[in-house]
Amino acid sequence: MHFSEDDLREALKRKDPGEGFTQRVMVRVNQSKAEDTTQPAIKKTNGKFLSWWMQRPVWAVAVVAMLLLAFGVGGYQYSEYRHAEENRIARQKQQQLQQEAERARDQAIMALEIARAKMNHVLQHAQLQAEPNDKIRRQRL
Amino acid sequence: MNLATRKLSRILIAAVLGFSALRGYGQDAAKLQLANLDKLSEKAARVTDVTLDGSLLQFAVNLIEKADADDKDVEQLQSIIKNLKGIYIKSFEFDEASQYSKGDVDAIRSQLTSPRWSKIVQSMEKRRNEYDEIYVLRNGNKVSGVVILVAEPRELTVVNLVGDVPMDKVASLERHLAPGEKHSDKPKQKKESGHDQE
Repeated sequence: MHFSEDDLREALKRKDPGEGFTQRVMVRVNQSKAEDTTQPAIKKTNGKFLSWWMQRPVWAVAVVAMLLLAFGVGGYQYSEYRHAEENRIARQKQQQLQQEAERARDQAIMALEIARAKMNHVLQHAQLQAEPNDKIRRQRL
Repeated sequence: MNLATRKLSRILIAAVLGFSALRGYGQDAAKLQLANLDKLSEKAARVTDVTLDGSLLQFAVNLIEKADADDKDVEQLQSIIKNLKGIYIKSFEFDEASQYSKGDVDAIRSQLTSPRWSKIVQSMEKRRNEYDEIYVLRNGNKVSGVVILVAEPRELTVVNLVGDVPMDKVASLERHLAPGEKHSDKPKQKKESGHDQE
């Protein structure tokens, strides 16, 4: 399609908007501003959502009750699990302590046995050394 | 609070601090530094290393105290262990003679030179290179520490008992109290468990 220069000039020439153009524009602007402030998009949807539930109160009560029950059962099970876990850890700790104590007891008994053996060993040696000296002394007397 | 009360409270605090420091010093003096002997572990054929103090010893004491008190052996053991503050043993047995130096033994003896320590038994056989000694740390009329040093050609043993040690009871302890005989689980040792049985 071909446009001549005259066609373009004809199409783009100045036109008179007519009387009250400015007023008409301002009325439109005010109208759109008022719509924006009174009905935001989110509120519209919320309103719809709430109105849906308001129309079905039995459903709303049932859903709330279900949620409460689910939270209640979940919470109870979690607290039971925590309680069992705490008990298990406490039992494990107690067992560890008991084992540690038994090891310490055995070590103490063994240590005292070594102390006894070594003490008697030294005393025996000292006694054996003293005996020949006594014999010599007695012979001299 | 007037001046006299303040002075009195200061004196009391100083006395308490001094007393606790002296108590601590007494216990520290009875404990020997045996770390210098650790290097002998590599050469030794048999090592016995016992360190029992603080909460671990308290565990042992509690467990022994809970045991059947009617048993005379247990009763004897209870009477010995209840006043002990620490048990430290290092015992090395070697396959060959002269595996430790005189310096190793002297490092132990040098800690026993304080006048509070007294050598109560000494057995010395120079030809066989055997030096056995028993030292006690006296705290008034009480014995607050004992050291048994057995230095023989193929053995070096240091037994250090800290606390109120009833020497006569230790010497007369029944042999069958050994843990291997009464209890199945043996205590942890570095190389292998065991010691001189006389």
